[in-house]
Amino acid sequence: MTRRLLLFFSILILAAVLVTRAQVLASPEQPVAFNHQIHAQAGVQCLFCHSSALRADIAGIPSMQKCMGCHTIIATDNVAVQVLTSYWKRKEPIPWVRVSWQPEFVYFSHQAHLRTGENCETCHGDVGRMPLTRPAVKMDMGWCLDCHLLQPEEKVVRLADCLTCHK
Amino acid sequence: MSMPKTITRREFLKIAAGASIATGFTSAVRSIVIEPFIYPPEEELPGQATWYASTCRQCAAGCGIIVRTIDGRAKKIEGNPLHPLNRGKLCARGQAGLQVLYNPDRLKNAVRQVGGRGSRQFEPFYWPDALDLLSSKIAALSSTERFAFLGGLMPSHTYRLTSLLLEALGAAPPVIYDLQSALEGRSAVSQLSQALFGAPDLPEYDLSQSDVVLSFGANLLETWMSPVAQSVAYGAMRQGSMGRRGLLVQFEPRLSSTAASADEWVPVQPGAEGFVALAIGRIIVEERLGHVGSHQSQAVLYQNVDVRDMSAASDVPVDTLRHLARVFADADRAVAIPGGYLSGQQNGFSSMLAVQALNLVIAQVGRQGGMFLSNPGPTAALRQNPPVNTFDEVMDLIRRMKAGEIDLLLLHSANPLYELPAAAGFFEAIARVPFVVSFSPVVDETAVWADLILPDHTYLESWGYQVPSPGADRPVVNSQQPVVSPLYDTLATSDVLLGLAARLGGKLAAALSWRDEASYLEETVSELHGSSLGAYSARTPSGFWALWRQYGGWWSEKQIRREPELTDIVQKPLLIAEPHFEGDPQDYPFHLYPYSSITLSDGRGANLPWLQETPDPMTTVQWGMWVEINPETAEGLGISDNDVVQVESPHGSMEASVVIYPGIRPDIVAIPVGQGHQDYGRFAQAVIGSNPMALVAPVTDPDTGALAWGATRVRLKPIGKKQVLARLESLDGNGRESLG
Ligand code: SF4
Repeated sequence: MTRRLLLFFSILILAAVLVTRAQVLASPEQPVAFNHQIHAQAGVQCLFCHSSALRADIAGIPSMQKCMGCHTIIATDNVAVQVLTSYWKRKEPIPWVRVSWQPEFVYFSHQAHLRTGENCETCHGDVGRMPLTRPAVKMDMGWCLDCHLLQPEEKVVRLADCLTCHK
Repeated sequence: MSMPKTITRREFLKIAAGASIATGFTSAVRSIVIEPFIYPPEEELPGQATWYASTCRQCAAGCGIIVRTIDGRAKKIEGNPLHPLNRGKLCARGQAGLQVLYNPDRLKNAVRQVGGRGSRQFEPFYWPDALDLLSSKIAALSSTERFAFLGGLMPSHTYRLTSLLLEALGAAPPVIYDLQSALEGRSAVSQLSQALFGAPDLPEYDLSQSDVVLSFGANLLETWMSPVAQSVAYGAMRQGSMGRRGLLVQFEPRLSSTAASADEWVPVQPGAEGFVALAIGRIIVEERLGHVGSHQSQAVLYQNVDVRDMSAASDVPVDTLRHLARVFADADRAVAIPGGYLSGQQNGFSSMLAVQALNLVIAQVGRQGGMFLSNPGPTAALRQNPPVNTFDEVMDLIRRMKAGEIDLLLLHSANPLYELPAAAGFFEAIARVPFVVSFSPVVDETAVWADLILPDHTYLESWGYQVPSPGADRPVVNSQQPVVSPLYDTLATSDVLLGLAARLGGKLAAALSWRDEASYLEETVSELHGSSLGAYSARTPSGFWALWRQYGGWWSEKQIRREPELTDIVQKPLLIAEPHFEGDPQDYPFHLYPYSSITLSDGRGANLPWLQETPDPMTTVQWGMWVEINPETAEGLGISDNDVVQVESPHGSMEASVVIYPGIRPDIVAIPVGQGHQDYGRFAQAVIGSNPMALVAPVTDPDTGALAWGATRVRLKPIGKKQVLARLESLDGNGRESLG
């Protein structure tokens, strides 16, 4: 009886892990089918839209005014662009669903990471090839430390300190 | 019915554990919505603070502020550390300014009242149509004398544009009145400066360098004139340099929180403050006190003064008067300040003159630690600031309105239905005006009677400038700039005025030819560019415009104090009339003392929950209003704390709960103003209370025409009800434990 119960729970846990992982790494449903791939192929740099990544903790998402700067004339026959335009006309912000995030108790800075020479893909995956954006990895603490611990020894002390990220 | 299968405790725990594992995992996936800006705010970096320098508009003082904004939203207001007036400090009212911006009861667009005036049924109105309608009303006036403008604490540039518009039209200049100015005696102080020094600018007292300060009814540390600057100076006076500690003596019938911070509180008989000053002056001259010399030339001032009579009239013993005269005259630097309460009496002007004369007697006019005059605006345009009109002038407007002589009334930053004594008759007067327009951002008591409300931006969304008065120890011009873009579809009143001028054309369009408010300001402010006094210099006008906004204004790098020049008024014997009070002392045994609340001031703060929540420093009452009476008086009338009493004057009555307060003369009934709003938003209306202006007699000091708001007598009657006030501390003083 005990063995069977144990097996049952193990399978349950495994299933839960797999389901959750699949959910975590799936692309969430967005109000506008935004396509990173098309934008990257057109040569738009990440920093053109996420313009504060180099200057602030938060990379930022583009204002609707910025979207419309191009889409008043470009790809106006595209369905997603038409949805965007209808939001713009109503002066209503698009309720994007966040794809990557850190919990509130983590102090993460884009600026600090980009300064060390990392690029966007290191954490966000090859977004330029994602028609629908999904998280490339599960951004948990173990994953952060995987990288922090590989850094030069003099830096590891600080990079592995709790208070560096949990102030 | 089968027996239910029994589950053992162990099985139950296992199932529960499994269930929680499963639910725990699924809840790890969550969905967070992030909304982009439609238009991004200027200079915005997400999550990063941008600080904007501007000016506090919560009272007339004009403290410099810096506002932290994040993602285009204002988050916190602090004092501007560079500003010469408040030097980084700010009062509670200034801090609460965020709730002016975010107030849920703000109008979100222009409105017109559709159910008739007073119906409170408003309908959105398209701005261009509103301007068309208003300009057609102006064009249709049979005579421009039938046009009136009533203002309160107006932004200086809006006032100037209004004045230019009215002048070009040939209409009377704006009438300016607000209750806070009346309570602090602003127009009387200005007239006193005019009489004594030949200039209308307000005095500026050098408290920080003073050894002895005699304050006659000026609540320096609360709401009077420039409370933050005065508090900073008070701090320096008390502990500025080692071994030096200035002395503050407060003369007033009620222990205010300033009096509580003073070394001595002298509860003078109401209206007799001037007698105290006369007696002190007489003693100094007679006994040749101090180090000024013989005082021979001043003997004439006090030739009719008998110290014993003055002592009897003021309730201050002769010994105390002698002691104070010595302390005052023997100090290296001393100053006497004529403040709020004495200005609210029918003998206010002569009392204030007697107090100011003390500074002459000890030669402290224009001397360190004494009194100076505020620097006026450095350019002609910047000198055109809203002057405060007297109550008589307001009454004249009311008379014209009642007589049907006014067809169009515009109101800006003024709420006369709340701020004037009810007996002044503004209610009957406004009913006779065919068309009324208010520029109030919220529906206040007066806006309810308007046909149109054209909401101005709130001050954190506005442009402007202000020459603070009283000023600092140097010439200062504050700058004001929007720290966020306007939250709603409101319009700067200055732009409304420019729009009206453009529509009306001709002389008006020529007098107000600026494209918009910002270009008017840029032009006016650019006159300061190139001044050799400034604390910063810029090579180009646009560079100056940028620095002007970054610094929060323009000021002189060095201290420049303005020494007053005396007129000959101080060569005649000083004479103070007996104070008169409305109401027979037999029927109305108490003096009414309405005072400006440290949180709500004259009521303009009542719609801000932070200020309602802030406990009054003396009574610790929050979200409420009360009537203060002396324990002796309470015992005589059989009243205890929290009993509701009816306060009645010859002009009206009101009810409120009692606070038994030992720091008050037994013949005084003190009531804070600010509550009892019929309109003005949910927070103001939520508080049980009445407006003490219902009691105040519409009488004036004949010398100045200023409202004698302290000259009404009242009687008290318990109505047999209790209404417990919310207080931070319990009445027995044990409440502090609950905070531990
Ligand atoms: S004193 Fe007046 S201007 Fe200064 S912070 Fe307080 S409310 Fe604002």
